[in-house]
Amino acid sequence: MATQGLTTDLPVLGRLRRQGLMVGAAGLILGAIGAFAQPDQFMPAWLIGFTFCLGLSLGCLAMLMIQHMSGGRWGLVARRVFEAGSRLLPYCLLLYIPIGVMLPKLYIWARPAAVQADHILVLKQPYLNVPFALVRAAIYFGVWIFCMWHLNRWSVRQDRGEVAVTPADMRRFRVISAPGLLAYVILMTFASVDWLMSLDPRWYSTIFGFIVVVGQGLAALSLAAVSLALLAPYDPLARYLKPVHVHDIGKLTLAFVMLWAYMSFSQFLIIWAGNLPEEIPFYLVRMRSGWQYVSLLLALGHFALPFCLLLSRDLKRHPRLLARVALFILAMRLLDLIWIVAPNFNQNGFPIHWMDVSIPVGLAGVWVFLFAAAGH
Amino acid sequence: MDPKPATYEPPPLIAPGHSFASVTDKIAAIVLSGRQPMGWFIGVTIGFAITMVLMGALTYLLIKGTGIWGINIPVGWGFAIINFVWWIGIGHAGTLISAILLLLKQGWRTSINRFAEAMTLFAVMCAGVFPLIHTGRPWLAAYWLFPYPSSMSIWPQFRSPLIWDVFAVSTYFTVSLLFWYVGLIPDLATLRDRAKRRSLQIIYGVFALGWRGSVKHWDRYEQAYLLLAGLATPLVLSVHTVVSFDFAIGIVPGWHTTIFPPYFVAGAIYDGFAMVLTLAIPLRWMYGLQDFITLRHLENMAKVTLVTGLIVGYGYLMEAFFGWYSANTYEGFMIWNRMTGPYWPMYWVLVFCNIITPQWLWFRRVRTTPGLLFCVAMVVNIGMWLERFVIVVTSLHRDFLPSAWGMYHGTIWDWATFIGTLGLFVTLFFLFIRVLPMISIFEMRTLVPEAKVQGAEGH
Repeated sequence: MATQGLTTDLPVLGRLRRQGLMVGAAGLILGAIGAFAQPDQFMPAWLIGFTFCLGLSLGCLAMLMIQHMSGGRWGLVARRVFEAGSRLLPYCLLLYIPIGVMLPKLYIWARPAAVQADHILVLKQPYLNVPFALVRAAIYFGVWIFCMWHLNRWSVRQDRGEVAVTPADMRRFRVISAPGLLAYVILMTFASVDWLMSLDPRWYSTIFGFIVVVGQGLAALSLAAVSLALLAPYDPLARYLKPVHVHDIGKLTLAFVMLWAYMSFSQFLIIWAGNLPEEIPFYLVRMRSGWQYVSLLLALGHFALPFCLLLSRDLKRHPRLLARVALFILAMRLLDLIWIVAPNFNQNGFPIHWMDVSIPVGLAGVWVFLFAAAGH
Repeated sequence: MDPKPATYEPPPLIAPGHSFASVTDKIAAIVLSGRQPMGWFIGVTIGFAITMVLMGALTYLLIKGTGIWGINIPVGWGFAIINFVWWIGIGHAGTLISAILLLLKQGWRTSINRFAEAMTLFAVMCAGVFPLIHTGRPWLAAYWLFPYPSSMSIWPQFRSPLIWDVFAVSTYFTVSLLFWYVGLIPDLATLRDRAKRRSLQIIYGVFALGWRGSVKHWDRYEQAYLLLAGLATPLVLSVHTVVSFDFAIGIVPGWHTTIFPPYFVAGAIYDGFAMVLTLAIPLRWMYGLQDFITLRHLENMAKVTLVTGLIVGYGYLMEAFFGWYSANTYEGFMIWNRMTGPYWPMYWVLVFCNIITPQWLWFRRVRTTPGLLFCVAMVVNIGMWLERFVIVVTSLHRDFLPSAWGMYHGTIWDWATFIGTLGLFVTLFFLFIRVLPMISIFEMRTLVPEAKVQGAEGH
């Protein structure tokens, strides 16, 4: 998508840009209205949107690094998609800025009065405090953008022919990717504590970082499936893309769907069986006042349905069908993030606020616009 | 990352110069020639002697009961569960190599899958010893382990992960055995055809199930093998997941933690690959199999060991971080006690073995030097045993009530039983090498240049 070899602007990218911009504008206008009508709902919705867009970009970065390490034909065709997605990390950093400024709006541990009133929060203050949280966010984005920048820079130079495509030159991608993957997983784990888990500062789960990381990988693979289906009719993909490529992406998507379910279910079973006062509230909240239906929908939509569909070999080899399943999975990714974030804020009444959907969709629309714009 | 010339090419999967005939001759001769290297006799002798130690320890256990072991309150789970988890974990690499790498179309699995699968079976057998004897009264084991139509409706407790374990492990063993046996059938037919003695022809012939190598046979074989691979794959994950539930379902600090399922699975594969390396490196040297188990195999296995080792390291990091982050007195104390309590040497040796040592595998020179790789693998084997020791013992010996604290040490009988299973494992493994081809003959034949002429890919 982002190659120098691709000089013409594909009509499909223009359409994608327009659609992205329209959805983005609509979502954000609604969000702006909502911000005045119900200011309390704005930041949680923004956090959902931020984590969704971040998941797309970081998932792309992770998949790009995995592809550099493992090789394989699936990575070759999807590499441009992952590169383009990873290049939007600065946009995600931009989305983080309001969160960084408004930390006390979202997190109890960022409110000094609330901290003083709660012994546990005092004990957690060495980690959960505003300056340290901001420093950590700077470190996370610094490392991620460093990896993204180098991998993309060398890739562009390779396309221009400034760098030869020899094993020695490919090695430099791996030199960044191997420690980069390690750093991504560890930093994203801490980021998931900072941004998601600490919404309820008493709750903790040691597998949570893995669940978030796998969710991001799944989002990136779904994005790749959709992008390949959109670009398949045009050169250069029309020449190179074979059913086996799509099949491989489909198999990986299935693997990540199963991995997400495995980890989510493990977390649920262990916490449910332990039934400890620090852990179980996470699920208790999500099993009543309407959230139980969302939980059920997640189990069915994030696992059972895509799992059954992706078992089919024909579906995985058919770009357009696979893209539909992938779009559905992306919607479920959003629902999963809503499910994690929103119950911390409105625990009575209708579970999902309309802003929880409109703002993330708006931010994702802008992400898609930038993504398509990066393609030329 | 060591500097290497720009033209580095991975070593081939099979050394040049081999043909269909030479592969078959070489591997079949190990079984049929009747001549074994000196190392085989030494290995069997030592293994058998140690197995006798196991027999002695088990006999004394049956006479006296579990009082001969170090377990007591508060540490009621000791060597039996530690060894069980360690052995089951080792088995996982075999299934990963044979099933998952097959599905991922990794051709390099070919020369190592047969003995890795055998390793799985023997490791699961060694693991199986411990649940059977852990009460000291194995004739009662069926009473609380196996589901049977119980008129008293007391046992088994289906909500206990220990019961899930019975199902998980027995399923795993059955599927692994089938998978191994189905993979052996074409080679058993080769041995039948090559055997000179009538008795051998009959024995191999019976187990070869009338295999003639027709196209129809191969077609059905491929289907069955692929299906079994599909069945075995989830088992790799599920068995150690259920083993991790044995701990995580409880509410003891250090056991009850959500990272356990993936962390146990990664640890199992980590340890298992270390064990495959521990076996493969002496074997290829003893039998001169460097042409078949090449440096490429060793390097790839080393890479898998490194990756899974990093996941295990991530698990330690999470345990330590959340122990502190939770601000829970007991969680925090548990991790503090591991690091500085009476068992501190165990914890730090384990960190050295499992986190620091495998970092050498970043270097290609270490990955492709069999001697060094063997040392790293041995250290990992020890480290993973220590990991289970630390998890089991440090969580139990100091729990919620300081007045109930105590210490635990394995007695001579604990050690005799554990080391005895090592002997059992070694003996079984050497017997396997003697009577069955340790490398899949027909799969190796797909790797030689002749096979590529027709564009065959192998399965």
